[in-house]
This record gives sequence, C-alpha cells and structure tokens, in this order.
Amino acid sequence: MNAFKRDKKEEEEGGGNPFQNIEKTTVLQEARTFNDTPVNPRKCTHILTKILYLLNQGEQLGTTEATEAFFAMTKLFQSRDVILRRMVYLGIKELSGIAEDVIIVTSSLTKDMTGKEDLYRAAAIRALCSITDVTMLQAIERYMKQAIVDRNCAVSSAALVSSLHLTKIAGDVVKRWVNEAQEAVNSDSVMVQYHALGVLYHIRKSDRLAVNKLVAKLTRMSLKSPYAVCMLIRIACKLLEEEDSAEGGSSDSPLFEFIESCLRHKSEMVIYEAARAIVNLRRTTSRELAPAVSVLQLFCSSPKPTLRFAAVRTLNKVAMSHPAAVTACNLDLENLITDSNRSIATLTITTLLKTGAESSVDRLMKQIATFVSEISDEFKIVVVQAIRALCLKFPRKHGVLMNFLSAMLRDEGGLEYKASIADTIITIIEENPEAKETGLAHLCEFIEDCEHTSLAVRILHLLGKEGPRTKQPSRYIRFIYNRVILENAPVRAAAVAAMAQFGATCPDLLPNIQVVLLARCQMDTDDEVRDRATYYCSILEKQDKALANRYIVEGLQVWIPSLEKSLHQYTINPSDVPFDMKSVPLASIPSPEEIVNTSGKAVSREESYAEKLQSVPELVAFGPLFRSSEPVELTESETEYVVRCIKHCFPQHLILQFDCLNTLNDQLLENVHVQVEPPDGYQLVREIPCPRLPYSELGTTYVVLQFPDELGATVGTFNATLKFLVKDCDPATGLPDSDEGYDDEYMLEDVEVTLGDQIQKVTKANFGAAWEEAAASHCELEDTYSLSNMGTLEEAVKNIVSFLGMQPAERSDRVPEGKSSHTLFLAGVYRGGYDILVRAKLALAEGVTMQLTVRSTNADVAELVTSAVG
Amino acid sequence: MLAGSYAVEVISVNYCFLNAFFFVLQSGQFSEDMIPTVGFNMRKITKGNVTIKVWDIGGQPRFRSMWERYCRGVNAIVYMVDAADPEKIEASRNELHSLLDKPQLTGIPVLVLGNKRDLPHALDENGLIERMNLCAIQDREICCYSISCKEKDNIDITLQWLIAHSKSGVR
Repeated sequence: MNAFKRDKKEEEEGGGNPFQNIEKTTVLQEARTFNDTPVNPRKCTHILTKILYLLNQGEQLGTTEATEAFFAMTKLFQSRDVILRRMVYLGIKELSGIAEDVIIVTSSLTKDMTGKEDLYRAAAIRALCSITDVTMLQAIERYMKQAIVDRNCAVSSAALVSSLHLTKIAGDVVKRWVNEAQEAVNSDSVMVQYHALGVLYHIRKSDRLAVNKLVAKLTRMSLKSPYAVCMLIRIACKLLEEEDSAEGGSSDSPLFEFIESCLRHKSEMVIYEAARAIVNLRRTTSRELAPAVSVLQLFCSSPKPTLRFAAVRTLNKVAMSHPAAVTACNLDLENLITDSNRSIATLTITTLLKTGAESSVDRLMKQIATFVSEISDEFKIVVVQAIRALCLKFPRKHGVLMNFLSAMLRDEGGLEYKASIADTIITIIEENPEAKETGLAHLCEFIEDCEHTSLAVRILHLLGKEGPRTKQPSRYIRFIYNRVILENAPVRAAAVAAMAQFGATCPDLLPNIQVVLLARCQMDTDDEVRDRATYYCSILEKQDKALANRYIVEGLQVWIPSLEKSLHQYTINPSDVPFDMKSVPLASIPSPEEIVNTSGKAVSREESYAEKLQSVPELVAFGPLFRSSEPVELTESETEYVVRCIKHCFPQHLILQFDCLNTLNDQLLENVHVQVEPPDGYQLVREIPCPRLPYSELGTTYVVLQFPDELGATVGTFNATLKFLVKDCDPATGLPDSDEGYDDEYMLEDVEVTLGDQIQKVTKANFGAAWEEAAASHCELEDTYSLSNMGTLEEAVKNIVSFLGMQPAERSDRVPEGKSSHTLFLAGVYRGGYDILVRAKLALAEGVTMQLTVRSTNADVAELVTSAVG
Repeated sequence: MLAGSYAVEVISVNYCFLNAFFFVLQSGQFSEDMIPTVGFNMRKITKGNVTIKVWDIGGQPRFRSMWERYCRGVNAIVYMVDAADPEKIEASRNELHSLLDKPQLTGIPVLVLGNKRDLPHALDENGLIERMNLCAIQDREICCYSISCKEKDNIDITLQWLIAHSKSGVR
C-alpha cells in the first residue's frame, strides 16, 4: 500500500497533476470571476474544480473566505449550464460547513429539486440537506416528503440518504417521514429499497419492539433488493444477539430461520452475508453452523476472486472458535494455497495452520515459504500470528517453525513486522523450555544485523535474563560484546547491562567479563555506557553474591516516576535521615491483559490513584500510597444507588474510597457518606463526605482508618451503610423542589480487607538465590495445610496466588501437565517494607496438601501469612 | 431595443406578494397560493423583447443582512411594501433607508411598489411617499407606484419603468 502511494506521488511530481501548484489565495482571487456577467461556464467550472480540489487536499478556509466564495458561487445560479450547476451543488456541499448564511440558497435549491431537469434534482436534494438547519427544515419538509416517494429512483434515493443524514440534527422531524419511507420500501428500485430500509431502521432503532415488528414484516414480504436483504440480515443478527443475552436464545427463532433461508437466496452477496452472520453469531451450535460453512466451502471454488477471498477470510476467523467445522473445508482450502491472488493464498495457509493436523505443518510451512517474500508486511504479520498460535498448539514442531521465523527475520521488513517475529520467538522461548536454546541462537543471529534499536535492546535484555541459565552461557557473550563494538549508544548500554547479568550469575565467566570486557567499556565515549560499566564493575569487584543479586540480577523494584518524585521531595526538604528506598511505592506488575491493552504506555494503577488522593487535602498526610485494590462492587448493578469501593493501603492507614452513583433522576443526594463498622483494633480517623450527588454524576466519599498494631487483626470484614440526605427534585432540571430534605440510608455489602490488600507484588528474577540468602537473615515459619476443596494443582496455585496477592517467581505458577506435585515460589512486600518470600510445596492426593514455608524480615508478618492461609 | 445582459435587483419586505407580482408580470395571471422565497431565487422574465434578470431575495429578517450582497452592480432596486398594513410600513421604511445607506449602492435607482391598492384602507402614492419618507432620499432617482397584483392595476406602468431603466442602465 505504502509503496503504491509513493509511486503515485512520484508520478504527480512528474507533472501529471494539473493542480499541483495551485494556491488557496490565487484560487479565491479567481473565484471573483463568478460575479461577472455574463457567466463563462467553462472558466467557472474550472475554478470551482480547483476550490474543491483544495478542500479535498485538506486546505482550511477561514469563515470570511468561505462566505465570500460561497456568495460569489450563488451568482452562478443564473447560468443554465448543466455541468456548472452540478459543480455548484458540490461547492455548496463542501462549503456549507464553513461559510455563514448558507441558507440563502434554500429557494434556489428547492426550485431545482422540484423542477423539470432530472439531472438537477437528486444533487439539489443532497446540497439542500447539507445547508439546512433545524429551523429551516420545516420549510422544506413538504418537498422532502414528496421527493422520498418520487418516481425517479435517483431522486428518491437522494432524499432517503439525506434524511438519514438529517436524523443527526433533527431526528424528530425525520420521524414524521416514516410513512413516505414505508412506501419507498416497496419501490422496485434496488437502491431505493435499501436506502428506505436504512431510514426506517434508523427511525425505529431505539424501540426494540418496533424493530422486531419491522423485521418480522419484511422477512415475510421477500425484498427485491439484495442490499436490503443484507441489511435485514444484519438487523436480525443484532436482535438475535440481544435476545440471546436476555434469555438463552434458540435456533427455532423465526429470525434465525430467516437468516438460514437466506443461504438459499439467488444473490451471492446475500448468501455470503447470511453465512457470515451465522458464523459470527455468538452461540451458534455446530449443527447450525454446518450449512453456513458448506456455503463458504462452495465459494472457495468460485471463479470470482472476491468471493474466494470473502470465504477464506470468514473461515480464517472462525477457525479458532469452531475448528472442527472448518476442518471439513480443508480439501477445498488446499486448492487455494496456490491461488494466484496472494492475499487469498496467505489467508488460506494461515487458516489451515489453525485447523490442520500436526503432520501437515511441515508441508504448509514449505508452501508459504515459496511466496512469503511477495506479500505485504500486513499479511506477513498475519502469518507470524498464525505461527505463534501453532507453536503453542504443537510444541514439538518448534524446530520447523523456529527455522521459518528466523528466515523471515533475515528478510526485509518494517519494524512492526520484525517486532512481531521477535515477540513470537520470545513467547515460544517462554512457553517451551526445549525451544529456548535454539530461539536464543536465532535472536543472537538477528541482532548481529538489526537496524531497529528498540528491538535490539529488548533482545539484549532477554539474553541477559535467560542466557546465564542455559547450559553454555559463554557462547552468548561474543554476540553481546559485538554489540559494544559495533552499535549505537543505547544498544551498547543494553549490552553492558546484559554482560553484567552473566557476570553476576556465572562465576566462571566473571574474570573475563569483569576484567576484560567491562573494563574496556569504561572507556566508552557515551556517558550512560561508561556509567553502567563502572557501576557494574564496582559491584562485581566486591565478590559479594548477595550484593550482586540485589543490585544486578533483580534490578530496581520501584516505580521509576515515583522514585523521581520522592527524590525530588527529599531534596526540597533536606533532613539528616538518609533517603529510604522503602518509602518509594513499588512498581506494580501489570497483568498480561493490561500489558496487551495499554501496550507499554502505562501509568500504574497506584500512580493514578495516588494523584487523585493527593488532590484531596485531608488525605495528604498518610505517607506514600502502598497499594490500591481493584474496585469492588458493593451493590447490585441495577439498583437505585451504585457504590464501588477501592481499598488504598498506606504504611499505617487504610483509606476506603467509595465511588457512588445516583441513578434516580428525581433525587438529589447531599452529605453522602459511608458509615463503616470496623472490626476491633481499627481506629476511625476521619470521614470525608461527598457534599452533593446529583443524578448520574459520580461522587466520591472517603473513610480513613488506622491499622491495628496487632497484625493478626488487620484482616477482617467491615459492615458498611450508605447514609445521605434526600431532596426530591424535578427530573428535567435537576433542581430540588424545596430546601427541606430527609435522611435516608442504604445497606451496602460488606467490605473485606484481606492479606492481599496489604502486600505488593515483587518480581524475583532469581528466586533461588534470594531464598538461600533469606535463610540466614529472615525469620522462617512453616506449616502444613490440607486444601480439601481443590481438585487440581492448577486450581490450588491460582487460588493461593490471588489470596496472597504475591508475584509468582520463575514461572512457578505454571503446573507442568501430568505432575502430581509442584512447588510454587512467591515474592512480595508487606506494607511498611517487610520482604516476604513464600515457598509452597503442593501435592495432589484427594484434595491438595500444601507445605507452606514463609521467610520474612518481620516475624509478625510471617506469622500473619501462615495464619491467614489456614 | 435591448435584451440580454441586464439585471434588476428586487427586494421585498412583504415577501409573499413579490412572487405574485413577478408571476403576474410574466404570465398575466394572479395566483393566491405563492410560497415565500427562502433565501434567494434567480429568475429571468422575458416581456416582448426585453429580458429582465431578477435576483429575488427573501424579506424575512434573517435574510436582510444578505440583501446587500446581491445589490452590487445592478440597474435598479425594486422594493415592495404592503400598502394595506400600516403597522409594517414603519419597519419597511427603516429597512429601506438602512439598505440605501450602504456606500456600494449609491446612485442605483429605486422603485417602491405599494401593493394591494384594491383593498379599501390601502395607502395611495402620496400616502406612501409620506409614510416611507421617500422625500429624504436625494442622491438617486426614486419612484413610487401603487399597484394591485390581484386586479393587475398599474402593472403596465411598472413594467415601462423597468424597461426605461434598462436603456439608461446599460453600462
């Protein structure tokens, strides 16, 4: 696509475009010619073309300029030249949004739309509707109604489509044209029928019953227009989906019958639409799917490329949700592998990869390799994604797939394409330990010739993390050190960091890395590279395993922007006490979904809440925010008042944030607050009520509590009641009827404060080292539990992780298949900065038995953890 | 005689009847059911061997600010008022005077038509000249006729005035 655009541009530069060098001011100057008498149609048409060209190129006209040009243009109505007049309509439409007083042409356009010249009528309607505002619509309503039912189908279509546009500014007026639209549905013209259905649906779409009736009526009368039938299918699908979500849906619904009957329509477009609709319906069963898939199968062998493409594309989409149904088409798909249209071939192969058996993978990969260089990046990414899915499905095939990916990596391609390949390789490495060494080797080879700094940095980071724990770490060093010699500063810095990881983890490599390689880097021309090299060198020199572990292997655990803020605060108020890293909020570890959604530009949840809490003056004094929980609903979703609670944990305090929503439009709530009854030990510090809570606006009230000294008492349940003063008010204005109000209250569900709320997750890259180290310096508690209600190890692991709110280390949250015992490692920090490490040995035997070992810097915390689990 | 490139500017405050007037002028018939002009309409009237080009502009208040845009470079301004509605005459007078104050329109001849002379209380020419304060307009040729579209009274002298100004107006 891009290449195509560029070619076109080059052509233009060659002088193909007569409008290449026109300028706004000159053209507007020329537009004064419009005022001349007699009008020169040819000249004026040319000038109008230039104006339209400029507008379509994105040129902005000021209001005065546009108004001048517009009024000059209206003078052209004196000419009878058909071409010029039609250009004027286009000009009116383009300028109607910018110029002032455009309604001046109303009469001229109504005259044209009702006149004898058919060439004018449709275009005049479109122009008229673009200049009309709500106040003027009354004046033309009569003409619009007539035009909708006009015998000329171009006129009728134009009126219908314009009506559709007008619903945006005057939906109520257009609603009055429903009878005319109804009549137009019966038109013989294919387009008019389609447009009329569009208008009818738009008028009624907010009223489900009316839509139901409309669909029921139209499905019986068999529309002539295939476009209208396609639209009807879409409307029916929407209704079906709504029905489904309301009450379990079934295939004997008349709507579904209608869609299915469309599979036997004579128009291919309708057949395809019906098949696509059935395939995409959320709850289609495989029995219902069969006829739709067989239709698509037929299309696969159609002589028309569009049909083949549509069929394969749809099959590709369903391949994931209903692989069995698509497998039936495999034979037909095989024939499309060699389709001369590359898009079809690519989609076919990726579909087959999704549905095919393990045995066919090799053959398909060979096929796709023959033309992968000929398809666009966009499709290459589709291929890569298919391979990624395949790797997860058939882990044993990683050899073939990995080779293929590395070949793709060597080809030309954009950053997005390369990144998707690297991502896939990284995923494979993470998912499949067997593929690790080959995967790393391919990535090493790739960075030898990688033009994308961001990718090289990521891969170096990965090498630093994974490389030291392979069988032969030394083989990666050369690749990494090459970067130091050959690349730009950011890559060199990343390479230095990666080498330091090897130095800290592999004692036999240490002398070489420290004395030779890092020492050389200390001479680098770039500050950052030098700084890093010096930093790592001095840590490695100490030969202290614990030190290296903490400052090289684990890295910084805090949230960098918070660290910056805290340091800034510290420099503003200097004190004799040294800066305490523990006062900095920890970086929260985003869940995989969050990583996908925010794609990297994340502000942590704590960070955004912290800012919100900072803005409430009463809440500033409680220190840095340690952890915020996910919002918890304290009401059913469809009640009068909706309340959500977020628990903010501070070193010594707990702030409960209640987000309240008033869904009654005849009530204004004042002095809204939540009364909580905390368990023993908690002290209520302060309540911050929400002064006013009008209808449908979110209001927030806070409760501040102090944690009990006895840690065991911090876990508990709070009764909560919403209390407020009600003032009845007028639903329309939202103003209260009187100043008098009455007190009322509303029971909320209990707020539970768990252990997890008080623990922040921490990633440990090398849990083993940390665990050994903790044996000496931490207190340890051990206990054995029987988790009788857990059926599988996976379930037990999931529950323990979510209950403790700690981060699983070294992928120990994944239970290998077929094992009857498993060890889970967890790491976290308790509020106040006490480290916790947990080792849970699980064994499956009529329920799950767990031996839990907790090591913590604080004995009370360790005790709390062991007691809370029980 | 002249034909062709000749434009007459027409403005009406009592908007309904101007359409009626040109309808009568063109076809010689009167029709009660005429729609007001919304915005402007361009029309050509051929009477004998004279072609009159008319910019017919709506008289409703929201269009008044736009009149001026169409007055530049025309041969004459025709201004029609309802002679039987004394309450509106004052507003008509103010609008006319403010229009003629525009510097671009200096010197363009003006024809004021008082419609509905068939009604008993309608003002005659002298009454109109007085109420519209036409004596105050000194910088151009100005003329006033009392007509009736319905009875087709004085339509011919109006036409003659327009034809006469087509001769003198050729520039």
